[in-house]
Amino acid sequence: MHLDPVADMQLLVSGLAIGSIYALVALGFVLIYNAVGVVNFAQGEFVMFPAYIAASFLLPAVTVFGTVVHWQLPVLAVYALVLVLMVVFGLLFNRIAYHPLRDRGWLPVVISTIGVSIFLRNAAQLTWGSQPLVIPSFFPVDTVAVGPLHIRPQDLLIIGVTALLIAFQYLLFERTTLGKQMRATAQDRTTARLIGIRVGRIVAITFVYSALLGTISGLLVAPLFTVTKEMGGLIALKAFAASIVGGFGSIPGAIVGGLAIGVIETFGGFYLSSAYVDAIAFVILIAVLLVKPSGIFGERVAEKA
Amino acid sequence: MGRKPLIVLGIVVALALVPLVVRSDYVLTLLDLAGIYAIAVMGLGILLGFTGQMSLAQAAFLGIGAYTSGYLTTHMGWSVWFAMPCAVLLSALVGLAVGYPCLRLSGHYLALATIGFGIITQLVLINWKDVTNGSDGMTGIPPPQFGPWLLDSYGRDYYLVLAMVVLCAYVAWRIKTTRVGRALHAIRENEIAARATGIDATRYKIIAFVLAGAYAGLAGSLLAHDIKFVSPDSYSFDQSVVFLVMLILGGSSSISGAIIGALLLTMLPEVLRPLKSSYIMVYGAAVIAMIVFMPQGLVGLFAALRARFEHRSPPADAAPAGLLGEAEANAV
Repeated sequence: MHLDPVADMQLLVSGLAIGSIYALVALGFVLIYNAVGVVNFAQGEFVMFPAYIAASFLLPAVTVFGTVVHWQLPVLAVYALVLVLMVVFGLLFNRIAYHPLRDRGWLPVVISTIGVSIFLRNAAQLTWGSQPLVIPSFFPVDTVAVGPLHIRPQDLLIIGVTALLIAFQYLLFERTTLGKQMRATAQDRTTARLIGIRVGRIVAITFVYSALLGTISGLLVAPLFTVTKEMGGLIALKAFAASIVGGFGSIPGAIVGGLAIGVIETFGGFYLSSAYVDAIAFVILIAVLLVKPSGIFGERVAEKA
Repeated sequence: MGRKPLIVLGIVVALALVPLVVRSDYVLTLLDLAGIYAIAVMGLGILLGFTGQMSLAQAAFLGIGAYTSGYLTTHMGWSVWFAMPCAVLLSALVGLAVGYPCLRLSGHYLALATIGFGIITQLVLINWKDVTNGSDGMTGIPPPQFGPWLLDSYGRDYYLVLAMVVLCAYVAWRIKTTRVGRALHAIRENEIAARATGIDATRYKIIAFVLAGAYAGLAGSLLAHDIKFVSPDSYSFDQSVVFLVMLILGGSSSISGAIIGALLLTMLPEVLRPLKSSYIMVYGAAVIAMIVFMPQGLVGLFAALRARFEHRSPPADAAPAGLLGEAEANAV
């Protein structure tokens, strides 16, 4: 195995890009987990569903329910539409999949989110068929030359948007009343309710915010992959793995874990085995669970009571 | 309680008569499949229902059993009757290998670690082409030969599957009603308290993992010889979820519930066939509705209905405080 600095730099950029996607989805997991103490197994569908909606309005012709439709709209209008729809989606998800089960422990909620996931995947297949859709990139070229490197501009966009979102979230949590209420709810729901925070509303907002994080990752990643009903599943599982590697429940952990998994997986896929590339995240996960189950930033090992 | 063995015997005899009445190969195939899934679901029941340990890798264990059986019979020319115990043994050993490091984990962590194991297993099945023949799968797996009979038509296979279901249900029932079962139950309800009363929780949790693996290995081996074909797609994460749903639908800590759940959900797609491709969507919605409205599964529902009908409270063992019941809300 010889090291090639140019190839390595390119791998690093791609790795950071896909790692940013994992980080965003992992943040969605962690925020919901902190707010309500359960893992949302439909997080991948928060990525897949908006990508399909966006594709329906970005492409000149899309087959919906077996009929070809021409819904093409300006790009910004489409993104605004998708974000609005996903706010509604997040509220509905909270109302249907979480709210009725909120007092019944974690397993019913986990199974209910798995139910939503099955429902949405197949609703997508029914609506858009099994043919993958391709969302065009913003950029006219696939790669640009930066010195000796060939970099995908989409990768840079992903990294940039992720950095902005993380900065936004930091400000939200540290500087706004809403953010402080979200943190208080995450720390201790009972006490939060006692000091007058409307916990139900904060939980609903958390689901919406998490849905939006998924949406943005879906829109960012769609031009790199094709839009299929399966696209969210593996991203979500790896993001979940990333959040545990980083330390479950920890926000910096989700970000660092996501980036680390993205980079290691990209290098591993190139240097070790492209056939087993999807196993890398889980091998790391199982190793971390065995050696240091609390992850890089985590302190708790046990589940929240 | 005196009536119970008679009822069970009656049901088994009735099931044994089914191939004499139902002549359709198609229906018998489905019943075979339901029986095979019932074995896998009972195994999951021992792990999740009895012991409270989540696993989303049951289909992967099924795959290990199916491929072991397939490889030993097609590549090595072994008899099915030697391959089958080997499949059970290997799945049980993998159960041990997975269970041991997972002991420290619980709840979501355990769920995810098992998902990871399932995905790795599937990747190995796809990529270890020398042994598994990759995505194409293995064909030409021989059916079992029992004395003068080759168990190749579904009517004959049916009896093998039925016998195995009865055997597995009996073993599960013995486990549930003896010391081991009570230890597993204690671990499910409160592991710390169980340890405090002198239960070796580590040992019993490993036993549960090994049993779940063994059940799945048997189911996988039966499946391989029944449909004479194995491919990686049949042992995916989605299939593990289906097993979980079967268990929850039936009632997670009930043996009859596991069998009823497997039977219903194997038949359901056929009943929903008029809905064509939207059936899995309906299925997903049904899962949510089920969890919301029937936390104890069908067995719990029947017990509650019977209690209402007979104007008395349900017997203690008929409606166990399931994993999905209110009682457990804060026990995790």
